[in-house]
Amino acid sequence: MHSFSELVVGDVFVAPFVVYAVAALAIFFALRPILRLCGFDKLFSNPAVAQLSLYVAILGLLTVAF
Amino acid sequence: MTTATIPRPLSFAGAPPSAWAFGVRIWVAVVAALAASFWLELEAPASAAVTVAILAVPTRGGALDKARFRLAATIIGVTAAIVIVALFSQTRDLMLAVFAAWVGLCVCAAGLLDGNHAYAAVLSGYTVALIAIQQLDAPEHVFESGMARGAAIAVGVAAIAVVNDLLAAPDSFPQLASQLVALHRGVRDYAKPVLRDEATDAGTAAGLLRDIAALRPEIASLATESASGSIRRAAARSTAVALVAAVHAARALKAVVAATNPAMDDMIAASAHSPASAWASRESLRRISEVREGLAALNAGHRPLCVWRMPLYRSRAIAAAAGLRAAACLVLASGFFVLAGWPSAEVSLSLVALVIGLGAVSPNPQGFTVAAFIAAPIAAVLAGTLEFLILDGVTEFPLLALALAPFVIGAMVAATRPHPMVASLGRLNLIFILVILSPSNPQSYNANSFLFVVLFLCTGIGLLLAAETLIPPESNERRQRWIMASVRRDFELVLSKRDRRLAPEEAMFRDAARIGQIPASGASHRDSAVLAQALSYFDRAAAIRLGRDSVARLAETSLSHLAAEAEEALATQDTQRLRDVSLALMHVAGAGSALAEEISGELTLAAIVIDAARHAASPAMEAVS
Repeated sequence: MHSFSELVVGDVFVAPFVVYAVAALAIFFALRPILRLCGFDKLFSNPAVAQLSLYVAILGLLTVAF
Repeated sequence: MTTATIPRPLSFAGAPPSAWAFGVRIWVAVVAALAASFWLELEAPASAAVTVAILAVPTRGGALDKARFRLAATIIGVTAAIVIVALFSQTRDLMLAVFAAWVGLCVCAAGLLDGNHAYAAVLSGYTVALIAIQQLDAPEHVFESGMARGAAIAVGVAAIAVVNDLLAAPDSFPQLASQLVALHRGVRDYAKPVLRDEATDAGTAAGLLRDIAALRPEIASLATESASGSIRRAAARSTAVALVAAVHAARALKAVVAATNPAMDDMIAASAHSPASAWASRESLRRISEVREGLAALNAGHRPLCVWRMPLYRSRAIAAAAGLRAAACLVLASGFFVLAGWPSAEVSLSLVALVIGLGAVSPNPQGFTVAAFIAAPIAAVLAGTLEFLILDGVTEFPLLALALAPFVIGAMVAATRPHPMVASLGRLNLIFILVILSPSNPQSYNANSFLFVVLFLCTGIGLLLAAETLIPPESNERRQRWIMASVRRDFELVLSKRDRRLAPEEAMFRDAARIGQIPASGASHRDSAVLAQALSYFDRAAAIRLGRDSVARLAETSLSHLAAEAEEALATQDTQRLRDVSLALMHVAGAGSALAEEISGELTLAAIVIDAARHAASPAMEAVS
């Protein structure tokens, strides 16, 4: 069973999901220049939904992997 | 004979479908934020709904950018609240004074920024009110309160981001591109009277510069919109800067035509007679083609050929005056509540800080307070109807969601109306309805607390209106004097080469932003004179910077002595000497130097523009003094 550990910042417990959400956001923004070079926006009819899906995929992968 | 009918644009109840779609999107986002907050059992679910109401921007990029700043400013505000409470929790009056100073500082910072940066500055101010002041009697709960608010804001931000993505909220850039195209048309129209040698008025030029500079916040928010957002932002920046340069080129062309032959009514004929005219018309066409390139790059999502920044101008004096006034208004309101000794008055005080903050980032702060004063009782009636007539004790979430629909959608449709007062009332009504209703799980339906909140809201805003009437803002004449003093100061720096290291076009944009700040309708004689004087400095500073930029290319050549002489002539605005240098360069050009010919044309143009601007400024100077 996968266990989730809380982040403790000065006696304040931060929920594991918050850490995953922020990490996924950081990875997503780091990937943006690469997406631009790949022409990501032109590959989809609705790039906004495609980007949201990518973010959710990264978040899911992080949650499963760590 | 054929007849053509113009199709009427589709509308429902007087509003276009886009306005209704916007209303529906915000309603879905409010419901999603409340559902998530209830599910997560957050302590302040109403804050999530209010976050959505505050982030209600018709475009996706605009909402995301504002959300980013809202999260950052909440962190700053919560930190400031903890520090203020930790230092002053034992001395209530001192704490209120420090709080007023903090809000004043934040309003002053907002005056030095624009767009969402300014919004973040005021949010940092009133977050302290919502956290520290509302916990005035229980300072030990400040941290929990800050965390609860932060969590609710994060949920609200996530709700509006996801809903905007899924319900296909429009992107900002097509709208921005159409605004830039309209301005491009305006600049070409402005140049037309130049071609026919008709009089061009300072008001038209100042209006164009103001409209171009006003796009700066929208352009800045393009970056968050998509993967190619930062590239589009660079393209939009370059287009806006090129538009300002095109206005300057059109004014230079007008000056040249007037100087070459005042009787001549055809620019093309004039250009045949003078190398300066030929150079001016070539320069004007070059600027227009730069605008076209920028627009093409914006639409295609390509990096523009010229990458320019858009430096911001803000008057420090005006910002400081706004900050002092905000602090004074808050001190007056706090003093009243302390003397009145009412229980729970901190709720009212925090609402006063909220209206001061939101008013500081609106174009007309006093008008915003008046709109809030009108919106508060309307929102109270609507929230009362929703809570006690429509919902009246129901506990099912779907019923709450359905009951919210007409209030949220109606308010948002009103917020998209072109009339500024109706738009302000729509936006404020939604925020106030959600604040008064304060959705919670389970909903209390307490008439007593409802009446208290309404009373505090109306009293707070009424008190703020009274305080703002007692401490009126500085007059338009004084603002004009402050801005003109800054114009003259910066012009001295340009002459002495101590100005900021900016490209000539970027510096032109900063000057245009300053002209946009001058409170002048152009209707009165004085307003026209102030605008004419500001434009005269704009033209001269631009001509000197462009002249310097071109002679710098001679520095490493055998003509460096002429470059040094031209530099001196520009620094002293000695136009005769500039013409002499230009003639000397023409002789060299006769020997086949294309560079010398080009720079000669530019220097003659600079001399003509400086002379024309001085000539235009002298009657304006008399009128202002």
